[in-house]
Amino acid sequence: MLDEVVIKTESLLKIFEEGKKREVTALNDVSLQIRRGEVFGLLGPNGAGKTTLIRILVGLLTPTGGEAHVLGRNVTADIEYIRERVALLPQEAGIYERLTARENLIYYGGLYGIPEETLNERADELLDIVGLREKEDYQVKGFSGGMKRKVLVARALIIEPEIIFMDEPTTGVDTIGARVVRTLLKRLSSERNQTIILTTHDLNEVSELCHRVGILNQGRLVAVGKPTELEEKFKAANLEEVFTGLVTGEGVYGE
Amino acid sequence: MGNQSGTKTVWLLKKEIKSVLRSKWLILGFMISPLFAWLFQGAFLNFVFAQAIEPENVYITVEDEGAWGAYLNNSFWAQYNYEKDNPNVSFLLIEELIPVDRSMGEALWENRTAPVWILIPANFTEVLEATNESMIILYVNSGSFRAQAAGARIDFFARWVIDEVIELRKLEVSRIEPVTPEASYGHQLAIFLVMLTSVLAPGPYVSKSFAGERERHTLEALLVVPLSRLRILGAKLVAGLILTMIYSAFTIVGILVYNFLVVFRAQGAIGGDEAVQFYSINVETLPLIFFCQFLILLCAIGIGVVISMLAKDQASAESINNLILLVPTMVIGILGFTGSILQYGGLFGMIVWLIPFSHAIMFLNGVLSGAATVTSLTVNVLYMLGFTLVFLVLGARAFEREAIIA
Repeated sequence: MLDEVVIKTESLLKIFEEGKKREVTALNDVSLQIRRGEVFGLLGPNGAGKTTLIRILVGLLTPTGGEAHVLGRNVTADIEYIRERVALLPQEAGIYERLTARENLIYYGGLYGIPEETLNERADELLDIVGLREKEDYQVKGFSGGMKRKVLVARALIIEPEIIFMDEPTTGVDTIGARVVRTLLKRLSSERNQTIILTTHDLNEVSELCHRVGILNQGRLVAVGKPTELEEKFKAANLEEVFTGLVTGEGVYGE
Repeated sequence: MGNQSGTKTVWLLKKEIKSVLRSKWLILGFMISPLFAWLFQGAFLNFVFAQAIEPENVYITVEDEGAWGAYLNNSFWAQYNYEKDNPNVSFLLIEELIPVDRSMGEALWENRTAPVWILIPANFTEVLEATNESMIILYVNSGSFRAQAAGARIDFFARWVIDEVIELRKLEVSRIEPVTPEASYGHQLAIFLVMLTSVLAPGPYVSKSFAGERERHTLEALLVVPLSRLRILGAKLVAGLILTMIYSAFTIVGILVYNFLVVFRAQGAIGGDEAVQFYSINVETLPLIFFCQFLILLCAIGIGVVISMLAKDQASAESINNLILLVPTMVIGILGFTGSILQYGGLFGMIVWLIPFSHAIMFLNGVLSGAATVTSLTVNVLYMLGFTLVFLVLGARAFEREAIIA
């Protein structure tokens, strides 16, 4: 992990208008810094604002207030530069079922202007890593949920992004598959200095993978730090206790 | 950066086409629908023509004892026997001419076994000699095309026989038939079918491409690639247009098959040349039909994009698309078949004029009939293009909304 800050948000605010009268504050005063090569875990219950934060950082949503910078560029002003260098693995399936596993990878890489020859080499390597080489010419529609997730992970990596946003990357993947994905993410972080921001509900995964975590609750960033630091700070036995305490308000450990 | 974006857009375009080409049912629908529509029309006319040139059984009753009744009866028999001896002559085309008395004729008619029954009434000669006018009664089974055609031939023959012998008067009819902006049956059919099928053709693709991508959550990943949303939209639209051109191509094939069926059957029939002229579609107009179809497809895609952007899911998008496009299309299509689509004034007339596809009909009618002016054609084309542009802009705005991924 390097010292260079690649993601920086300041007092980020996002309000959704639902109808003419009702407003929902999805993010409120979120300030955060993430460094190059860091694996950062975003935790929070459903509706806490994790996906909204990721969507702002990749330019799918515009912040209502505050600022967000990725790779030193403002997300509202220079999104094309940012998009060339980041990849998103969405929460939902988001895969072209009529294309084969390989075609999904090649197609996505082509949209980043990467030459087809390079894409084929990268696809060979990635399909090997995620264990789908034998199924590479099968249409994805016949794949299990876990296999589809692996294709999506490989697809996100084929562009060799500087930052990868992964919304629940191991959801639906079997134990062995999840292990493969985790190992891969560790390697990307340590060997290639790729920054990974992942959301997950699996706290063991967070403990194993993440250098630091941020806990979002009702749109607010209620805690940021290394898992061990947070455990110490909140005098908890493990990260799960910290998370439960902060989110439910029960048994919150005072500073 | 510009070239790079261009390459990426072409890449996206290729994928869109490849993805849809794998939707076998969609492609099959693109091919079968226009072919079927035209084949059905051709087969129907083929059936009508075929029935019209088939011989039919005819019953005849002569109650008149005067000279003219006998003369007419003898003429029927003479022609019938002549055609029996000369099979290449087919004027009356009577299979069997069967003499019956009145009560038998009435019984046959009652139990529907007589397709055609000629009754020359008792006072036929008397009335004819007294007034120079008389009447025979022709019973024709209206449920049979073959009987109707036989009835028409007998009607024509009887008039010809009597008028040939007794020249009552010579009536000259001056027919005033200015060029109207409505085309022949064949061209009306072309306009109707081309429009109807083209309006609905892009629906499945457009719904799949936007509402479907959103429903399957592939849109989110697509929107974060380094391509502007306008380019993504553009690539999808061009892919849609190229794919729907498959539809246009098969429409042309369908028209050619239809023409073949009409010409094949109508030739040799009484009035066959006129029938071919009336029912067939002039192949020289096919490029024009193709151009008009392009405009209709473009317009339908524009409307479909907006619907698809706002609809909840693919199924809703397709249903709304069909509802919104089919109803006005049927209204103006039927109006076009029953005369001018501009035959109504007032609010209804204005609504009809505002429907973009009305301008496709006006355009085709105008050119096919030769009654169009450059100004009227320009207005038609510009209106359709303008309408399409407005909808594409609305679609682009809807595509830029944050809610598109929600």
